[in-house]
Amino acid sequence: MELVEEKGTVTPHEQYLSPRHRRRPEKGKTKVKKKKKKIDVEGLKKELVMNDHKLTLEELSTKYSVDLTKGLSPEEAQEILTREGPNTLTPPPTTSEWVKFCKQLFGGFSILLWTGAILCFVAYGIQMSFNEQSTKDNLYLGIVLAVVVITTGCFSYYQEAKSSRIMESFKNMVPQKALVIRGGEKVQVNVQNVVVGDLVEVKGGDRIPADIRLISAQGCKVDNSSLTGESEPQTRSPDFTHENPLETQNICFFSTNCVEGTAQGIVIATGDSTMMGRIARLTSGLAVGKTPIAIEIEHFIHLITSVAIFLGVVFFGISIILGYGWLEAVIFLIGIIVANVPEGLLATVTVCLTLTAKRMARKNCLVKNLEAVETLGSTSTICSDKTGTLTQNRMTVAHLWFDKTIYEADTSEEQIGKTFAKSSATWFILAGIAGLCNRADFKADQETLPIAKRATAGDASESALLKFIEQYYSSVKEMREKSPKVAEIPFNSTNKYQMSIHLREDSSQAHVLMMKGAPERILEFCSSYMLNGHEYPMDDEMKEAFQNAYLELGGLGERVLGFCFLNLPKTFSKGFKFNTDKINFPMNNLCFVGLISMIDPPRAAVPDAVGKCRNAGIKVIMVTGDHPITAKAIAKGVGIISEGAVTEEGIAAQLKVPDSEINNREAKAIVVHGSKLKDLSSEQLDNILQSHTEIVFARTSPQQKLIIVEGCQRLGAIVAVTGDGVNDSPALKKADIGIAMGIAGSDVSKEAADMILLDDNFASIVTGVEEGRLIFDNLKKSIAYTLTSNIPEITPFLLFIILSIPLPLGTITILCIDLGTDMIPAISLAYESAESDIMKRAPRNPKTDNLVNYRLIGMAYGQIGMIQALAGFFTYFVILAENGFKPIDLLGIRLNWENRYFNDLEDSYGQQWTFEQRKVVEFTCQTAFFVSIVVVQWTDLIICKTRRNSVFQQGMKNKILIFGLLEETLLAAFLSYTPGMDVALRMYPLKILWWLCATPYSLLIFIYDEMRKLTIRRHPGGWLESETYY
Amino acid sequence: MTKKDKKSFNQSLAEWKLFIYNPTKGEFLGRTAKSWGLILLFYLVFYGFLATLFTFTMWVMLQTLNDEVPKYRDQISSPGLMVFPKPASALEFSFTVSDPETYKGYIEDLKKFLKPYAAEAQNNLMDCTGGALREQNGPVYKACQFPVTLLEECSGVNDPDFGYSSGQPCVLVKMNRIIGLKPQGRPRIECSVSKGENTTLSLYPAPGNLDLKYFPYYGKKLHEGYLQPLVAVQLSLGASSTPKEATVECKIVDSPNLKNHDDRDKFLGRVTFKVIMHAQ
Repeated sequence: MELVEEKGTVTPHEQYLSPRHRRRPEKGKTKVKKKKKKIDVEGLKKELVMNDHKLTLEELSTKYSVDLTKGLSPEEAQEILTREGPNTLTPPPTTSEWVKFCKQLFGGFSILLWTGAILCFVAYGIQMSFNEQSTKDNLYLGIVLAVVVITTGCFSYYQEAKSSRIMESFKNMVPQKALVIRGGEKVQVNVQNVVVGDLVEVKGGDRIPADIRLISAQGCKVDNSSLTGESEPQTRSPDFTHENPLETQNICFFSTNCVEGTAQGIVIATGDSTMMGRIARLTSGLAVGKTPIAIEIEHFIHLITSVAIFLGVVFFGISIILGYGWLEAVIFLIGIIVANVPEGLLATVTVCLTLTAKRMARKNCLVKNLEAVETLGSTSTICSDKTGTLTQNRMTVAHLWFDKTIYEADTSEEQIGKTFAKSSATWFILAGIAGLCNRADFKADQETLPIAKRATAGDASESALLKFIEQYYSSVKEMREKSPKVAEIPFNSTNKYQMSIHLREDSSQAHVLMMKGAPERILEFCSSYMLNGHEYPMDDEMKEAFQNAYLELGGLGERVLGFCFLNLPKTFSKGFKFNTDKINFPMNNLCFVGLISMIDPPRAAVPDAVGKCRNAGIKVIMVTGDHPITAKAIAKGVGIISEGAVTEEGIAAQLKVPDSEINNREAKAIVVHGSKLKDLSSEQLDNILQSHTEIVFARTSPQQKLIIVEGCQRLGAIVAVTGDGVNDSPALKKADIGIAMGIAGSDVSKEAADMILLDDNFASIVTGVEEGRLIFDNLKKSIAYTLTSNIPEITPFLLFIILSIPLPLGTITILCIDLGTDMIPAISLAYESAESDIMKRAPRNPKTDNLVNYRLIGMAYGQIGMIQALAGFFTYFVILAENGFKPIDLLGIRLNWENRYFNDLEDSYGQQWTFEQRKVVEFTCQTAFFVSIVVVQWTDLIICKTRRNSVFQQGMKNKILIFGLLEETLLAAFLSYTPGMDVALRMYPLKILWWLCATPYSLLIFIYDEMRKLTIRRHPGGWLESETYY
Repeated sequence: MTKKDKKSFNQSLAEWKLFIYNPTKGEFLGRTAKSWGLILLFYLVFYGFLATLFTFTMWVMLQTLNDEVPKYRDQISSPGLMVFPKPASALEFSFTVSDPETYKGYIEDLKKFLKPYAAEAQNNLMDCTGGALREQNGPVYKACQFPVTLLEECSGVNDPDFGYSSGQPCVLVKMNRIIGLKPQGRPRIECSVSKGENTTLSLYPAPGNLDLKYFPYYGKKLHEGYLQPLVAVQLSLGASSTPKEATVECKIVDSPNLKNHDDRDKFLGRVTFKVIMHAQ
């Protein structure tokens, strides 16, 4: 196996490369190192090129210098093992726990808080070095900020560690063994000791230990679904049947499963150089983009920092003009910038995301990465795998055709309901053939399970028939006991039929020959047909009916089997020795009974879920390794291709022109074959993705899945990818959110994914989308709520500077709001139910629909925040005035007020105050300001519940929110009235009347916002909406 | 979407320019003139309304206030003690006897402060009999005279330099005015030297009495011409050849309802000051 690199000699396999690959590396222009890595990944993205499957056995033997019967000698094997290394996949470079922890500590939002903390320490340092008597407020603030970041960091680290522990539990650590022939002897070795050139033997039930070129096989079938996504087992033989190594019959791939039969082969690749290894490497080599919420938070940080720096600089200028010293002005600058930092928001966002993650886990979506919680909500395209996600991943009888009628069987998971003409005599015969001419069997001890859930041994189609007969006819076991099998020709790909001879159930001692197989082959054997239990000679009308039925069922993507039988004449009565090698019995003029078709049916909940995605404006694209016809059928079945949609092929067939001549804009739906995809340029792919709403990609390779995902992302979509196989993992990793299957998924795919569907059900994704959208809306509300109180927190400091009044709100009280009273109410908004049907609107546009936009800032800072600030100042002036300092006398009082040696400061009534006495009043004012903010935050919380609807429409059903209201009030009262708080936090008890000062403003907030929302509802798209709807 | 292409500096500069002024759309800072006008008008109306509302609530609040007596006086139940003149920083009087410039400020402050206490300024005040609280019921509240001569050596009458030029500086101690305060007992100022040897103190009026007739105080508006009682402390630091330093602590005593000790408030009913007299 060799890899074709971009550079280096051009090999004949160049044609595998599509033109787009050559242009790719442009991106990495800036850094040479980056470029190199990029090319490496690009190299991996190419189709696999190997030629071992084309070699003859002799060439193979020479190439690997191995004896095809005796295998390598143990010494040789040992030597190769030391040279090449063990046959294991290099685990992806795991980020150490420390790095993960540091990422939590210093990523995204934390940076803002850290900067704030550092600025605080700087300010404290400046104050310390110039004035020993300075307050320690900045020091405390810095420490608190640091503590907040560290605590939140630990919390989210703990949360993620918890979900990764669940991940660990998925991994099974059973050591795998392989049977190799070395020096002519069969030995069991650990899989990691298998080397290139080893002669290995595999049998049904084994896991293929390495990439193997077969040299002999007996009825060998492998399940390649984890690699290619095909749900049907593939026949394997020593014959070279296809150019493409993935499709040729003589190669078995590492970590796929051998379903039945036995085979011997030479190991041609081990460990990382296997197909699976390459995919794993491709996966780990992919650069992962930021999650949408991370981008939003970054955007938010930019906004908030701009506001902070703008305010800081403006007031720096003002304070210089007002005659403050440079030093003081710098301290003010830092103070203003730090005051803009919403200390509690990081914790709030983390907790909100965690809560949603928990809620999603309860609904079977396990989120590995907290930030991925929201990603599903932003998703605009879902690339779904077919097998296992959309379908049940088990063959099931879907249709029957007998008595010239198509009957539908129930394919739902529960297997109840639908009936068909069970009374027809033809049905009894058909059921008899299906049950008897069938090698599948139930595994032991499953009597208690429903039939559909029982495990079987044997071919998927035969198992489907077995279950079907068991369910609708009678116990197959009893049938087989009553009519024992006396001879059999098993199915093979040349015959394309299976025949068995049974003793008849009645005691006539006669035999019956039963046959099933490819319908056209079966028809060749028949000279009569059965209709309502009577035999009629075969006629053209019947043949046409047969053809139509066959085509119709085949067109549904179903695998069709034909059934026929022959009652053998008396001469072959009991005791006759049937010879299946030299046929000594009649095998013609059989009686045709009917057709049974099978399919891996879609999950019951999927069509509904796809419909919901449609409504929600999410494009669902099916990407599968399966055949186009099957893929299209399932796509139609689940609604990915809607009823009546015309596909390109459909138009072509109608107009009887080749596909290529159809302008693809005419068709809404399209089925793209992997081989066609290979020849498309990225522009053409973009074109396909853009101009079709219903797309199915069939026969795709893992590399192509990745290209499809990248194509969607290039068009600005936020892409979710579902998948269970190893083949899906590069796409899972590249996707904005990769969704792996918890039950059927391979470890590699789970490792690469951001989210795991514990029930493998596509419908759970819809729940995830709903939760994701809800949390995005609710985070907006939560942030709007939290940011609002920033204004009443900053303005006191600004007015302190400009008007030289006593400081209305101190650092401690600010922290009490941000980290105390505001916390639970902000979190409670995460529990808010949706305002309207969030699954009926289009996904947000990541470029324009930001989490925090200028409208939100305008609302929070410019409008509600201002009202809140006025409420606070009103309370502040009331208290000072009632204690003797009238507002007018406060202007310019700052210097004397702050002078600790000025102990006879005169108030408006001629009374004189010591420093400490007026400080107590000042701190009482700060406490009251704090309480006022709580009072105005009551209504702010209520108005933040909705963005468009009235609270009266939304109701007050959010219990957590009501609890939040009570909690913040009680906490405020506690902080104010608890004895000792004057020493601990410098908060003083308030007179009851002072609580009421802010209530008119609180009411105003409510009335103003209700009016605003009313206007927005009355004039959708109006000016007010465009300026204030966040 | 996932990968942000690095923008070149020129590109981002051009973007900024376009943001500041976009000639094709006629946008300045991302908004057209009309858009700016509307949003500014909105905020003008909004803030105008808020300002009116705020003014209104403030006006209502001020209406509820009494012009004569503040609504609450519980924050100052006990008066603080303070000295006069006020040194620039901390309570440290620092001067050199031979250099008048160093104490000129103190003397001017004292003179200014004592102006209302001059005999001629007190003509329209009552000459009250001392020893008891003077509660009045209005509507006119009379203030009692406090003849400056009570301060004797520190009155500035005999010694215009208040003793600074002779190494015997005067410092006035006064109790903060509090409306309605009625001291119990016989309040008096007691001073002691806590640091500085050979320093003696003289109090005027001896022995630092605060006569009850000056209480209660009825507020700036009602109690026109009110003079708060003073106690002068004169320090005798001794010969001026060597630098002298003394720390003096004064407190209110003999009145059970006037506190003179509070852990946090170092000026509640007491005051500590330092006098440093430099050598020649």
